[in-house]
Amino acid sequence: MKFILDYIRKDEWSPYVAGVLLGLVGIAAVWASDSLLGASGAFENIAGMIGKAVAPAAFDNMYFNFIMPPGITYGVMLVVGIFFGGMIGAATSGTLKWGKKDSANSDEQWKRIFGAQTWKRWLIAFFGAIILEYAAGIAGGCTSGLAISGGMLLAPAAFIFIAGMFVGGIPTAWLIYGKRF
Amino acid sequence: MLNFIFALVLGVFFGFALNKAGLTKYHKIINVYRFTDMTVLKFMMTALVVSMSGLYALRGLGLITFPNVPATYIVGNLVGGIIFGFGMALSGYCPGTAAAGAGEGKLDYLIPGLLGFLVGAVVYGLTYDKVFPVISALANYGNTTMPDLWNLSPFLTILTFTLISLLLFYMIERVGWQRKESNQ
Repeated sequence: MKFILDYIRKDEWSPYVAGVLLGLVGIAAVWASDSLLGASGAFENIAGMIGKAVAPAAFDNMYFNFIMPPGITYGVMLVVGIFFGGMIGAATSGTLKWGKKDSANSDEQWKRIFGAQTWKRWLIAFFGAIILEYAAGIAGGCTSGLAISGGMLLAPAAFIFIAGMFVGGIPTAWLIYGKRF
Repeated sequence: MLNFIFALVLGVFFGFALNKAGLTKYHKIINVYRFTDMTVLKFMMTALVVSMSGLYALRGLGLITFPNVPATYIVGNLVGGIIFGFGMALSGYCPGTAAAGAGEGKLDYLIPGLLGFLVGAVVYGLTYDKVFPVISALANYGNTTMPDLWNLSPFLTILTFTLISLLLFYMIERVGWQRKESNQ
């Protein structure tokens, strides 16, 4: 028992142990609610809600009416859960960043490579996030909704997507890290 | 309603796993593309081995049916994946890990992440009908799985994937397929 509690309090688990947990969550999603995991779709639902409130005419299209209707969906609840899951995880290891000095630019390696300026981190992360969400739309899901959820059902799409992630990610990392790659 | 509670609880465990795997850290994501830390790959492949074994076993026992399988349309899956990798290497997160990192109180996840996803979602939603029907029509195999598409035994497919994963884990942990971080 003490071993288990000590392990839960660790900041980082073995990725194999954490991976088993994620695998069980994937099974539970199908078993309990006949659904797949996924995060990117939730942002489409929320964007539709905001869009329809602010500019109803512009958002009155096939996508926001039928493909990804706005509203609090299963996917939105899942992302809310992920938010609190991250919070609980960090709380158990005493690594919560709320109110901490380094909360705005949270990674040491980033600062070593790109400097301590918060605006730089935020600007690049912002553009990265736009690209991620758009790409998830084209691909049919993100790391959770396509790579994990599709992969566990043995959908070819998932493995094509994972290959693509590396084909896109490796040269990008090589370019932005330069000599430090 | 009950489904929403399931979603919330599943999400908590999902976010917890992401946090404990360390994937809510920028360096863990970028370093998989530099081959200096293969955590992302170990985590994902372990999750896949467990979940595919469990799901096909449960379906074999007649306890579950599969929900809609994500569609395979080769060009879109691949191009989307490449662009996704580009975005991941820039930001150091993906939609799921950004949500978990935001919960930890990382403002560089919460604010540019959330705003960026919403902007990306709006841009995608408004350009959907010009982009998606075209790209998803190319090499489209529908909501299929590898065993169905190629008439394979699911058991052997999963066994093969598991052996490939174990081999890869061995190469990473013991044969040095993970580069050493060259400290400066």
